Amino acid sequence: MTEEKGTKSAPAKKQKINLNRVEMPKQSEHERRHNFDEVALGYTWELAKEEASRCIQCKKRPCQQGCPVNIDIPDFIAALQREDVEEAARILKRKTSLPGVCGRVCPQELQCENACTLNKKGAPVAIGRLERFIADWERTQGAPTMPEMAPSTGKKVAVVGSGPSGLTVASDLAILGHQVVLFEALHVAGGVLMYGIPQFRLPKEIVQREVQYVQSLGVDLRLNTVIGINYSLDELLRTDYDAVYLAPGAGLPKFLGVPGENLNMVYSANEFLTRTNLMKAYRYPEYATPIKMGKKVAVIGGGNVAMDAARCAVRLGAQEVYVIYRRTRAEMPARLEEVENAEEEGIEFHFLCNPTAFLSDGRNNVAAMELIRMKLTEPDESGRRRPVPIPGSEYILDVDTVVVSLGTSPNPLIPSTTPDLNVTRWGTVVTDERGRTSKARVWAGGDIVSGGATVISAMGEGRIAAASMHEFLSNGQKKIIPPSPATDDPKTL
Amino acid sequence: MYSIVEHEVLAPRVHRLRVQAPVVAEKAKPGQFVILIIDEKGERVPFTISDWDSEAGTVDFVFIEVGKTTQQLATMQPGDQLLSFIGPLGRPAEVGQFGHVVSVLSGYGIAAMVPILKALKDNGNTLTTIVQAPDQDRLFGQKPLEELSDTLILALGTQGDGMMESTTVAMRKLLNQHPKRRIDRVIAMCSLCLMRVLSEMTRPYAIKTMVHLTPVMVDGTGMCGACRLSVGRTNRFACVHGPEFDGHEVDGWEVLMARRCTYADESILQQGFQCRGCSQW
Ligand SMILES: Cc1cc2nc3c(=O)[nH]c(=O)nc-3n(C[C@H](O)[C@H](O)[C@H](O)COP(=O)(O)OP(=O)(O)OC[C@H]3O[C@@H](n4cnc5c(N)ncnc54)[C@H](O)[C@@H]3O)c2cc1C
Ligand SMILES: Cc1cc2nc3c(=O)[nH]c(=O)nc-3n(C[C@H](O)[C@H](O)[C@H](O)COP(=O)(O)OP(=O)(O)OC[C@H]3O[C@@H](n4cnc5c(N)ncnc54)[C@H](O)[C@@H]3O)c2cc1C
Ligand code: SF4
Ligand code: FES
Repeated sequence: MTEEKGTKSAPAKKQKINLNRVEMPKQSEHERRHNFDEVALGYTWELAKEEASRCIQCKKRPCQQGCPVNIDIPDFIAALQREDVEEAARILKRKTSLPGVCGRVCPQELQCENACTLNKKGAPVAIGRLERFIADWERTQGAPTMPEMAPSTGKKVAVVGSGPSGLTVASDLAILGHQVVLFEALHVAGGVLMYGIPQFRLPKEIVQREVQYVQSLGVDLRLNTVIGINYSLDELLRTDYDAVYLAPGAGLPKFLGVPGENLNMVYSANEFLTRTNLMKAYRYPEYATPIKMGKKVAVIGGGNVAMDAARCAVRLGAQEVYVIYRRTRAEMPARLEEVENAEEEGIEFHFLCNPTAFLSDGRNNVAAMELIRMKLTEPDESGRRRPVPIPGSEYILDVDTVVVSLGTSPNPLIPSTTPDLNVTRWGTVVTDERGRTSKARVWAGGDIVSGGATVISAMGEGRIAAASMHEFLSNGQKKIIPPSPATDDPKTL
Repeated sequence: MYSIVEHEVLAPRVHRLRVQAPVVAEKAKPGQFVILIIDEKGERVPFTISDWDSEAGTVDFVFIEVGKTTQQLATMQPGDQLLSFIGPLGRPAEVGQFGHVVSVLSGYGIAAMVPILKALKDNGNTLTTIVQAPDQDRLFGQKPLEELSDTLILALGTQGDGMMESTTVAMRKLLNQHPKRRIDRVIAMCSLCLMRVLSEMTRPYAIKTMVHLTPVMVDGTGMCGACRLSVGRTNRFACVHGPEFDGHEVDGWEVLMARRCTYADESILQQGFQCRGCSQW
């Protein structure tokens, strides 16, 4: 990865450390329970300036190192300190095509903000909120900053999946002069950003703006096209394309495998969220897709997906929403900010319990679930405290809707139609550290490789793969089509 | 956008649409389906492909007006555009050399089964086709079935012209002749309740019975889990592992039917649709 060193940041004078993190205004708890509008309202220019002024412009740039795509954080903050938002936007766009998305959903508390020097004093610079401010400013005030485009190389690349990983590779390769076709199975681009993450956390208009930006770079977006059905991977490679990047995500929902799990009104989080967000069921009947939900909704799981499902249920009018998680609050994988938001919205958390069966109302609708209490064992070698059931502690909880939110695994569609693509036993595609798969001219990244991670890691893997693909495409090996037996060691390709 | 190139009304509330969709036509196989969206505010709804022309790049499907989307589709004319048309989805139907195949059709199945019957015929099977319709007026698509079937049985209830038979009576008669007049396989594309009854009828005879299941779907590619059902005690997704399944292996028909009707009370039942639980005749 090339390091940008050109822009000299603002004078790093001796500065007094200001530990007053500027809060971001939010919709009130009461109000937001009844709408799908964005919860966090974003900084005003005044607030953004004030927060930016807290940055002490560390020489060693720990924040930047903490960022999976290596955004020039001190530089864009310096530009804000100079009140040059346009320049800040340009700096941001050098490393991310999706700043409006990253600024909203990245787990900054674990990444850049965790590494920030001020974090030692408990008040890291609110990098994510500043990023969001700049992206929103650019969207509403300025013309989008366009990168410099390399002349056409005559090489053609197929990118499969238009989630954050696919969008990143598509834009990177387009900027480098390659012709890019981006295939998407659904009728809109954006992946989980569109069908999973709710409007109140990530407005869909913002995702679409960023998709349009990628298209404006000359990327040819083909919706409604399923790779593995409409074209196999081999067909793509045999016909028009010099290389392929696979980013179909991990969309196959997991289930508990307990009795009654297929009863009516037991949803997978994917169905519940897709109906609500992508298909806009919260605006039914203006939008044709309905969503049926009862009064007492139980969401099983403790990740971001569970928080999203629970908070959607609140907004869709549920009277009681429970989150059922088998460990404790401390082990919940969801972002702290979203857990707090959920608590404020009146969601009830039930820790240390796990469903063992779903019970029918006699007409095959779910009416209750049986839960068993759990306790955490001593940490094992991996350091994680494993939950184990307490025998005989079963009890019943009345519910009329359940959303199972236990995570997802990769959809086997592409591997099953591509026999020489190496996958693990979890179905994830095997790659080397540069994103190369076992199959020649095929790279992969994002959730299909990680099995489910974050937006920014999906983008980071895309960035690395795009660099590797560019190297391959620029090598002038126009006619070289390396053989690709399944036994190829990805490391030696 | 996907243009509608033809619209034919086949019977009251039954329509055939032909859509320009070359990428779908290119790969279509018997028994597969598409998911379409009419416009920006529309729902994703599945329809079985009833014919296609890979040269002209067109795909046909037949639908019955039951609720909002199908009623809106019924108003669409040649030249109108569909926002989205994804397919061919699902696994193709199994078509081999089986011998004597009995198929049972109702509703859109009367049209959607035709490609499967063609393929079965091409494989040298002997075909007996039982068609169920509420009455003569609502019987359509008889011609291709007559051409393809060695025996065509119309089960029009008591309202048909001289046809007193119901599907199950016809099936019972055929089963009574088995194994003298051997049945090698049964394929059903009709209402869920009928497919369930047929599966139970053939079970004692161990005649392989394939059913075309249509749970509610959203994405149709294995992402949402809405279409899951239990077959052979494992969870299957109808859009990926089906829609054709072995009827003797399907567990929990009641659950399947309940799930199929999740959204029925707000649509078809309210309109007085006489279906006892599903949107097919
Ligand atoms: C509800 C929810 C909330 C989340 N919250 C956060 C969060 O707050 N912060 C965070 O960092 N991460 C979050 N994540 C995780 C994050 O969204 C994912 O890690 C990220 O989207 C993965 O990106 P991707 O590009 O690999 O795949 P995806 O975003 O899954 O995109 C894959 C795309 O490929 C398409 N596709 C699949 N198969 C095919 C095919 N065969 N042909 C063509 N197209 C295909 C899919 O339709 C999809 O559009 C959340 C995830 C969910 C589900
Ligand atoms: C694989 C498959 C193939 C199908 N093929 C055909 C066909 O060739 N011709 C045809 O007329 N119908 C077909 N159907 C049924 C058709 O999809 C529904 O009748 C249609 O969705 C009804 O939409 P609506 O908006 O008009 O009715 P709605 O008012 O939405 O619903 C009416 C009924 O359809 C059911 N339904 C609603 N949405 C779906 C959905 N996405 N999937 C399944 N059922 C749903 C409801 O449970 C309800 O019983 C098929 C269904 C599946 C799953
Ligand atoms: S680590 Fe924190 S204070 Fe230092 S440059 Fe980065 S954002 Fe500014
Ligand atoms: S329709 Fe979504 S998984 Fe089958």
